[in-house]
Amino acid sequence: MASKTKKKLSENILDKFSIDFLRNQVLKNAYGNDDTVIAKLDPRILLIWYLFLGLVPWFVSDLWFLMGCFLLVLVTTKLARVAGLVLLLFGIGVFTQTGYLFIVALFFGGDASTIAPLLVLTLKVATCSLASVTVFSGLDPDRLSNGLMWYGCPERLSFSISYAYRMLPMLMEEFQNILLSFRMRGNPPAHVTVWGKIKYLFYQVKVVIHAFYPLMLNTAKRSRTTVEALEIKGYRYAAVNPQVKKMKLSTLKVTYNDLLFLAVSFLWIALCVLASTLF
Amino acid sequence: MNIIEIENLTYSYPAAKEPILKNISLQVEKGDFLAIVGNNGCGKSTFCKTLNGLIPHFITGDFSGTVRVDGLNTLEADVGTLACKAGYVYQDFENQIVRPTVLDDASYACLNYAMPDYRQRGEEALALCGLQGRQDDYIWQLSGGQTHLLALAGAVSLQPDILILDEPIAQLDPGHADRIYGVLRELNEKHGKTIIVIEHHTEYIADYCKHVMLMRDGTIAWKLPAAEALRRVDELQACNIFPPQVTLAAHRLQRQNRLPSDCPLPTTVQQGKKVFAHLRYCNGDGKSRADAEDRETVAQFRDVGVSYRSVKGEDRVVYSGLNLQIRKGEKIALIGSNGAGKSTLMKLMVGLLKPDRGEILLNGENIRKKKTEELSRQISLVYQNPEEMFIKDTIAADIAYAMQVRGVENYRQRTDALLERFRLTELKDRDGRLLSGGQMRRASLAIGIALNPGILLLDEPTANLDIATRKEIMRTLAQIKAVTETVIIATHDMQLVCEWAQRILVLCDGGVIADGTRDEIFGNPQVVQRAGIRPPEIFTMGQALDRQALCYTIDAFLESFKEAQCVGFKNEEKTF
Repeated sequence: MASKTKKKLSENILDKFSIDFLRNQVLKNAYGNDDTVIAKLDPRILLIWYLFLGLVPWFVSDLWFLMGCFLLVLVTTKLARVAGLVLLLFGIGVFTQTGYLFIVALFFGGDASTIAPLLVLTLKVATCSLASVTVFSGLDPDRLSNGLMWYGCPERLSFSISYAYRMLPMLMEEFQNILLSFRMRGNPPAHVTVWGKIKYLFYQVKVVIHAFYPLMLNTAKRSRTTVEALEIKGYRYAAVNPQVKKMKLSTLKVTYNDLLFLAVSFLWIALCVLASTLF
Repeated sequence: MNIIEIENLTYSYPAAKEPILKNISLQVEKGDFLAIVGNNGCGKSTFCKTLNGLIPHFITGDFSGTVRVDGLNTLEADVGTLACKAGYVYQDFENQIVRPTVLDDASYACLNYAMPDYRQRGEEALALCGLQGRQDDYIWQLSGGQTHLLALAGAVSLQPDILILDEPIAQLDPGHADRIYGVLRELNEKHGKTIIVIEHHTEYIADYCKHVMLMRDGTIAWKLPAAEALRRVDELQACNIFPPQVTLAAHRLQRQNRLPSDCPLPTTVQQGKKVFAHLRYCNGDGKSRADAEDRETVAQFRDVGVSYRSVKGEDRVVYSGLNLQIRKGEKIALIGSNGAGKSTLMKLMVGLLKPDRGEILLNGENIRKKKTEELSRQISLVYQNPEEMFIKDTIAADIAYAMQVRGVENYRQRTDALLERFRLTELKDRDGRLLSGGQMRRASLAIGIALNPGILLLDEPTANLDIATRKEIMRTLAQIKAVTETVIIATHDMQLVCEWAQRILVLCDGGVIADGTRDEIFGNPQVVQRAGIRPPEIFTMGQALDRQALCYTIDAFLESFKEAQCVGFKNEEKTF
């Protein structure tokens, strides 16, 4: 399986890195992993957990503790089966935050000793990012928005999150088709020379910008029906009826697994704190 | 008992000069299955929106008269209450679905109206609409027909007594269309729902509906029992409604005095069998197949395999080992159910999709290494959804774009000529999106042939159009035939296939299962069965009378079926 994927990737990486691929990754990220351990946890518990791992590392500089937190979120990210693209973006993100500093430091005569201080910063960034990735991509948007609603976020925000995920694939498909229209009818500059390549790049950027205009108009045309349908489906009534909120939140339930998850996390952090005081 | 009672309803949209509904009075009985027919823009959709309170509560405007739905005056009730009385399914139903999973969407309205048993109601609605077992699926896993059923389930979940559907089958293949109407019939007969459909497909009206209401310029011309309504051939045709082909054929026989004028016109094939019983099939001139074997090949698929990534699990294989040759000058129709891979085949040919394996040759060259831009003079694709082809703010600019950026000499004159040919000169400064359905299609066809491509691919050129506009597009396609050498059309529209195509490719289960002329395809019951093809009604009528008859148009039917005595049978005169 792995070798097959590898072969596919190397075969035509540029072919695959299309809007179609992006669309697929977005869907995968949002809904492709609803059967994982993380996805089954109660969103409220996960949000508390996230609050801790997203905040505390910023205020601690102890290497043992940070290392422990990092390992923990690494495991949860693995458990959440996060889509490849998100991990790639994560990698690029961390590198642009701190990794390049190391290279620059080496360039200006630094040595391996530069690693230690940089490592602390990198671990902080990486831990927070992976914790976010676990929560926001491990949970499907609906459960996430329900969790947020329980903590008092307005109903409209939580509806927007799940509606955005509902619309995103459609929008991306439409965007792709409009881009294809440009490709089929446009006449891009030749890109053999370096100058040609630069011109080609500018051309591509221009096309993407131009493609937004029809996309917006087409979306506006579609949304007429959606707005009417929302009215019929009582969206406006629900927003003012506290009973509805109660019914929505009644699906949330803290189970044995949630407690276990919290307990294991807590125990692990405690061990790390212990280790940092001992060594 | 009347479930809908309307008195003197007049309505005009805000800022409109003239009312769109004029002094309408109507009663609809509980348990009716009513079809609303009428010209484009005669106020059908507007009328339906007055029934569920969207007009005047959500869309304001000048409203006078009374509309009572199940005894409730719509002016006095709010949209929420009325939604529980009358459910509405839009023509662009996919925009009506707002939640990501099936059960969620079906029960969403119930949840919003704080019904404690909302989940159960959702599940019941899904079961009624034949979507049981799909509760936890995501909506993009559904086919077009299933998405429509889900939109219907969303309306049914509130348990309204009335269901209103705006052109339910305009985008669907015949298999899905039959299923939708099957579900509607069950809701009507078993559960006593009153169903109102806006429908152009008169064959479906004949098969399923109880009454027909004709609207003309914002008024109701009449409301009659379905069979009687469909027999008013002249009146319907004056409003651009085309009665079933069987009815039309009988109507023309009457004109030719070959049927007694007091004989009631048949509306279904079953009735047609009796009425046409005195006719005998006499073999017309057997047309020999145009011999195209020796012409040069312009496109070729060699062992092509392609699959789509899926969100979960295995990739979905569309083609595994597709082999195909397309010769110069052929007029090909691609048919097959939704999802059989018609659009995929077209995208492969223009290089928008790359095959996983195998190769595609265009004019002898492999297109794998070619950029889409380089192919555009050889081949052109017109999308199913014309809106996605409008990338400029006027259609004149859209048509000119490809020629302009390629520096085609006198592109202005060519643009003007194209605008003229497609009768768009008046509209040339309008944004394509704001045109009517037929105008949008014509504009997209003009864009498609702007570069004079050798091969033209058209994806569902007649989908979502009413019959009159469809006929107009079919005439335009006949014109294109003379200009463009090779044309391939992907379509569900079997009348188009029969009247236009010289070669038909039937796609099914990841490959081409049949390839031939219309006689070879429609005359082969196994292929028709397997691919779920529904031939034009007149063809089925001919078949029902004589298995050998292969008539695709009403003209052909009238020509090849003669009165018994003409062909030498000594039959007694039939009495009616």
